[in-house]
Amino acid sequence: MELLGVHGVTTRFPGVVANDNVSLTIHRGTVHCLLGENGAGKSTLAETMYGVHRPDEGYLTLNGERLDLRSPKDSIAKGIGMVHQHFELVKPLATVENVALGTTGPGRLDLGKVRARLEELCEAYRIDLDLDTPVGGLPVGLQQWVEILKTMYLGVDLLILDEPTAALTPVGVERLFESIRRMRDDGLAVILISHKMHEVTGISDRVTVLRKGKVIDTVQTDSVQAADLVRMMVGRSVELSKATNHPPAGETKLSVTDLVAGEPSERGSLCGVSFDVGAGEIYGIAGVSGNGQDALFDTIVGVREPDGGTITIDDTDTAGMDPRTVSKLGVGSVPADRINQALLMDFNIDENIGLGRHGDRPFSIRGVLQRMAFRRRAEQAIEDYEIACPSASHITRTLSGGNLQKIVMARELEGQPDLIIVHQPTRGLDISAAENVRQRLIAERDRGAAIVLMSEDLDEVLSLSTRVGVMFDGKIVGEMHHDELDLDRIGAYMAGVLDTTDTHEVVV
Amino acid sequence: MTAVDTPPEAPDADADDENGDEKTGGRWRIERRLETSWYLEVGGVVLAMVAAILTSSILISAAGSDVLESFRALYRGGFGTRDAFVETLVQATPLIFTGLAAAFAFRAKIWNIGGEGQLYAGAMGAYWASRILGDSLPSIVLIPACFVLAMLMGAGWAGIAAVLRTRFGVNEIITTVMLNFIVLNVLSFLLNGVWQDPASFYAQTDRMSDAYQLPQLLSSGRLHLGFLIALATAALVWFVLARTSFGYEVRSIGANPRVAAYGGIVSNKIIIATLLISGAIAGLAGASELLGTQLRLQPGISSDFGFTGIIIALVARLRPAGVIVVAIAAGALRNGATTMQITTGVPAALVDVITGLALVFVLLAAVMVNYRIRRPQTDG
Amino acid sequence: MADEITAIFALSVLVGAVRIGVPLLLAAIGEMVVERSGILNLGIEGTLTFSAFGAFVAVEQTGSLVFGVVAGVLSGMLVSLVMAVLTVTFKVEQVVAGLALNLLGIGFAFYLLRAIFSESGTDVLSVETWDVVEIPLLSSIPWIGDIFFSQHWLAYVAFASLPLVWFGLNRTGFGLELRSVGDNPKAADLRGVSIAKVQYLALLFGGFMSGLAGSFLSIFSTGQFFPAIAGGRGWIALAIVIFGNWRPGRILIGSLFFGFLEAYQLTLQAQGSDLPLNLLLAMPYVLTIVALVVNRSRSNSPLHLGAPYLRGVR
Repeated sequence: MELLGVHGVTTRFPGVVANDNVSLTIHRGTVHCLLGENGAGKSTLAETMYGVHRPDEGYLTLNGERLDLRSPKDSIAKGIGMVHQHFELVKPLATVENVALGTTGPGRLDLGKVRARLEELCEAYRIDLDLDTPVGGLPVGLQQWVEILKTMYLGVDLLILDEPTAALTPVGVERLFESIRRMRDDGLAVILISHKMHEVTGISDRVTVLRKGKVIDTVQTDSVQAADLVRMMVGRSVELSKATNHPPAGETKLSVTDLVAGEPSERGSLCGVSFDVGAGEIYGIAGVSGNGQDALFDTIVGVREPDGGTITIDDTDTAGMDPRTVSKLGVGSVPADRINQALLMDFNIDENIGLGRHGDRPFSIRGVLQRMAFRRRAEQAIEDYEIACPSASHITRTLSGGNLQKIVMARELEGQPDLIIVHQPTRGLDISAAENVRQRLIAERDRGAAIVLMSEDLDEVLSLSTRVGVMFDGKIVGEMHHDELDLDRIGAYMAGVLDTTDTHEVVV
Repeated sequence: MTAVDTPPEAPDADADDENGDEKTGGRWRIERRLETSWYLEVGGVVLAMVAAILTSSILISAAGSDVLESFRALYRGGFGTRDAFVETLVQATPLIFTGLAAAFAFRAKIWNIGGEGQLYAGAMGAYWASRILGDSLPSIVLIPACFVLAMLMGAGWAGIAAVLRTRFGVNEIITTVMLNFIVLNVLSFLLNGVWQDPASFYAQTDRMSDAYQLPQLLSSGRLHLGFLIALATAALVWFVLARTSFGYEVRSIGANPRVAAYGGIVSNKIIIATLLISGAIAGLAGASELLGTQLRLQPGISSDFGFTGIIIALVARLRPAGVIVVAIAAGALRNGATTMQITTGVPAALVDVITGLALVFVLLAAVMVNYRIRRPQTDG
Repeated sequence: MADEITAIFALSVLVGAVRIGVPLLLAAIGEMVVERSGILNLGIEGTLTFSAFGAFVAVEQTGSLVFGVVAGVLSGMLVSLVMAVLTVTFKVEQVVAGLALNLLGIGFAFYLLRAIFSESGTDVLSVETWDVVEIPLLSSIPWIGDIFFSQHWLAYVAFASLPLVWFGLNRTGFGLELRSVGDNPKAADLRGVSIAKVQYLALLFGGFMSGLAGSFLSIFSTGQFFPAIAGGRGWIALAIVIFGNWRPGRILIGSLFFGFLEAYQLTLQAQGSDLPLNLLLAMPYVLTIVALVVNRSRSNSPLHLGAPYLRGVR
């Protein structure tokens, strides 16, 4: 029985088409997965169903009737609930209070009613939760449950869960799935956003695969193999470009051994990462975001101190060194977030060009800034990298993403570093800007630099890398040389169904 | 209060979210302007001043006085004669120091509200130096010694807040406010005890010897060397902020501490250094007032110079040159107020109102310059 | 030294402690509610001054003490309304807005005072004040009766407001919304709570309480108005909120304790004691800093205190 219909929905954001003519139907009593890589448009689609975005084209229907959602308030009133990936809980408040928030009048608070309903829900879904503990003190897995209960309490026909398992332990995931099955049996429709293959195959009745904003296909889960889904998700378009000439790697420049950062249960922590990179080699790290890439970048460049393991650059153990010392060893680094990690947006372009080396010659002499040095470097960079800007002393904020990235690249590649770490170097860039960045990286490799390339863009990783490691759950679960690349295997590594560093393989 | 540490315009890394916001809701909302320009900024300040003056005019006429005549008297008292102008500069001197102290800290987005207390600490340092050194040495030794101890005391007092912030994560807004009152009470304690002038009934020290008197700059009027030191300090602050790698780091922390961290800048070090410097500059205000005008330490050595300095810094948009200009304007207001009250009967308290209004309007103008209000298109 | 010790228990000191503590308590309760909604209001001093002035003028002009309280409360709410417009609507930095309001509150009060009473430059104006209300029976209890039941009616209001505010914060839907806004405005926003409405109401309540406190200063205890009438009480109220770790019960203790310190100090001063009285006066501020450091791991401070809430920006 059809509950919600999506009809030709197109949603555009400045410069991006997040959803392109998307159509699908959600049925009562089913679990429907939205599968796709980051940026495939899953979240946008889900948020459209929840009334966060209004489609530019197309429309939604509920029970066959046209549905016009102006805000989440409307969707809640229509029985649509969504649990966001990032928790929005009031930490000092107890579960009952978090659930009651926004559902009561301003007057006397009757938590008894809320508590009774919650106890029913907890009983029905076998959740063991102390309703009076401040939620900030609950384990993350239970906080996830509080979020779900907040939505369930409002009474929903359609429950959207955006990556609900990201923070859960395997046991927690199983418990959650049990509850989801029970909800389905109660006649609810559940939409689950995920990119973990075993979850998709384990729980869902139907799967819609999205790639680059478009629906690739909607299928019955039991009619397909996991490998087929991976291929749909990653795309057949990836031409393994063995054509690119990969020079042999030289001596080892960076060696990471058993690197640990954060608690294993924590999302995005490192649980023993090992790999090494040689001169003249691009080591690509593929993987879905949130599997420890940020922590890996931060520990290597020195922003975060690892909790275990070693990082060796040339012959120096750099674990725990500060970013400045690491950079002086001849390391250039391009972080993932240009605006919040790499560039001071309210500074001028020429001031940004010296960030990190601002205290050293030629930018400073005895602590005094050499403005001409900044200016000259910036003008040189503007010329070399064809940065489109009015002048070197223009404020950084106004530049486009591609030009911002060029500034970062120009700064970090200055002085011919032996080791270059780049993270998401082309995210949000248009095709020509992205290509420009990639050509730079190849040029640097040919010069003899060792490069670590972390990217969620699989095409990019596969076409540029000499070797590819796949990161999953804080580890490199598989590694391949460029001439033995196998898309199915990579997809399996990325989806977490294959781990060659483990002795036993996970069965799909 | 953790939010003070995060950059105010830090969008979440999740790009979906960021874009999503563009499309939400149909209500009026405030969003950041991508590009601002100097003429918008200057225009905003000018507009704010006009608004402050207009509002004040309404107040004056409501009180039954002649608006034009009152402002003329105010101007005459502040700038009208050579003597008035000289006295204005005397009034402006401590305000330049405290304005610079605030501006320096605020550049790093460190909310040092403790300029008032650091000024007192500085004055106590200067007086303490005189107790140690007596008056057997020449002025050329004594005066610098007073200034050095004043800076150390001001820095030390601010340093308490710095340690509490970096070591215990305690927000500096509250601690600097509390430290203001603590130092005032400590001073009163000393002035009612060991430092009290035995010959006086009042809680004040004896008069320091003439060797401590800062040289007068002009043959008439009270303008003293402190004014030149204030100007030199402004130049130095400008130089440090704009032209040294340390100043670059201070500004980086203020602009976005996260980016600064990736650039290898250690926040805690900069926070401590910034607060110490800010406190030292406020301490200079104390020494300059003590040695330049009063030579006698008493609780009234500051008439809200520290708090007014914060307002001056903000009206000057945290620019050292602007601080000088605004401090002189504030000095003229304080100075001209008396003339205005005598000749037109408009209460001198009007200048506080004008200053407060100027600040409020400058703040609002800054909102207008940096943000724009728009209503997103919802139907379509 | 013996005199100093007996003075601790002197009836006059304890009665004075409550009398001095009442305006502190009123202002601190208001500020606590404001801060629990996420707004750090440093403008209490200005609010107290302006409302003390409003109450004073109303009594002077109408002769009605009731009008005086009404005018004091409205004056306080006017100042806090300006704070709300600046910080909630225009997202002006809260610290800065608070300091601006101190300057404006005091400046306006002083200016208007001179503008209204320009002819009387020399002699100090004074108006009648509210009388102390002795509660029948209770006031005749030895000691306790004098200390707690022979005070101004506003003192009883202050004490009564504590459980009411506690109830409002912890046992009403609006209180839940208010606490949520102070801790995580985004969570509240996603649940359909209007952040602006909650913060406006919180600030108006803060203005109301500061208005009562300001009225207390002018038309209950002194019958006069002078620009320095608040005498730093706004800042002490701020300190009490922190010292009390944002909890009504501890705020009561803090208000009475800080009131006691001042009353004790005044008595010792009158006795000509050799104790370092000024250091005694510095105690509230020192203790506040100590409380901040000691409580930092179990601080009850609102998590989003002091930061403006902008949609879509975390």
